[in-house]
Amino acid sequence: MSNNSNPMITDIFVAGARKGWGIATTSTLPNVLMAFVIIKALQITGLLDLLGKLCEPVMALFGLPGEAAAVLISSLMSMGGAIGVAVSLFQSGHLNGEHLAILAPAIYLMGSLVQYVGRVLGVVGTKGSRIPLMLLIAVINSFGAMLLMRIIINI
Amino acid sequence: MSHWLTDWIVPLLSTIDFTTLNGSFGKVLTGVSQVDDALKATNGTYRGTGGSGAMEGFLFAFGLIPSVMFALAMINVLEHYGALNAARKLLSVILRPLLGIPGVTGLAIIGSLQSTDVGASLTRALADEQKINAKEKEVLTMFQFSGGVMITNFFSSGAVLFTLVLASGELAVPTTIGACIGVIFIMKIVGANIMRLYLTTFPDKDEQEQQPSSTATEK
Repeated sequence: MSNNSNPMITDIFVAGARKGWGIATTSTLPNVLMAFVIIKALQITGLLDLLGKLCEPVMALFGLPGEAAAVLISSLMSMGGAIGVAVSLFQSGHLNGEHLAILAPAIYLMGSLVQYVGRVLGVVGTKGSRIPLMLLIAVINSFGAMLLMRIIINI
Repeated sequence: MSHWLTDWIVPLLSTIDFTTLNGSFGKVLTGVSQVDDALKATNGTYRGTGGSGAMEGFLFAFGLIPSVMFALAMINVLEHYGALNAARKLLSVILRPLLGIPGVTGLAIIGSLQSTDVGASLTRALADEQKINAKEKEVLTMFQFSGGVMITNFFSSGAVLFTLVLASGELAVPTTIGACIGVIFIMKIVGANIMRLYLTTFPDKDEQEQQPSSTATEK
């Protein structure tokens, strides 16, 4: 890329699209592929049904089927992975569009927390004793977002 | 809501919104069935029907690539034309009432929406330079910790949910990208305020500014 001080808008767009290609091929695609494999494995073994039954009472409070718990659990590791899981469950008919809408903000609010404990709290220098509270608040945010989104889509 | 907003602005915005410009793939014939004496064709996505596992995952993700490219291109354009700077100026005015933290944290807030490491290191620097006190640091950290890197992360993965279509060709998700981003942002503020409330209720007596330890910033 030339270091042009006044680039054309088209160049800026293309540079962004190039970034997008990088993210799509190195992050989105591998994440989604992994998620589809995991969901297929969970389906074959019957674990997905089991998880669905276990989490049904809690998830029902937010207007979601039990299987939605798989999306939230995977979001703790990776937001992209959680989107992959959500999409895979949408494809398999476990989740519908409304469920995806309710889950979307929640995925990001409790997303990648495992990684952020190091990358955010570690760098900032947060006291170790306060980390559980921060994790709890992030989960509260997530669940609050599900309630809020449920209201929004039903207006 | 004034009526010109609903009569004019909203329709205009909805015609030039992300989803519309992003468009959709063409349909392919996925099946033909006989109904009475006529042939009935079923159309579907280029992925066909009945795929599963890694193969289906790959083809599905392949279909997401244009959305991610388009989203990042749009962000790049907005960023270049100062949308984020404008947001920062706006933010610095409302930070005190909204989060109880000084306007000087505006850059850390905006930075944290785009990059984990920018947000965290700017926060660290503000604390080390004593520009924010221990309580303000915790509130600012909580803001970043939940829904971290909201803009970049959401547009590089979440936005694709809004391109999913039902068999009928209608969009599957009954809300907008804007609403989704709005909910994330509102809850980030709520979470930071829960932390603020907690620290007000249970103040930490020995909350001294820790000596900057040599934190190894990992990649």
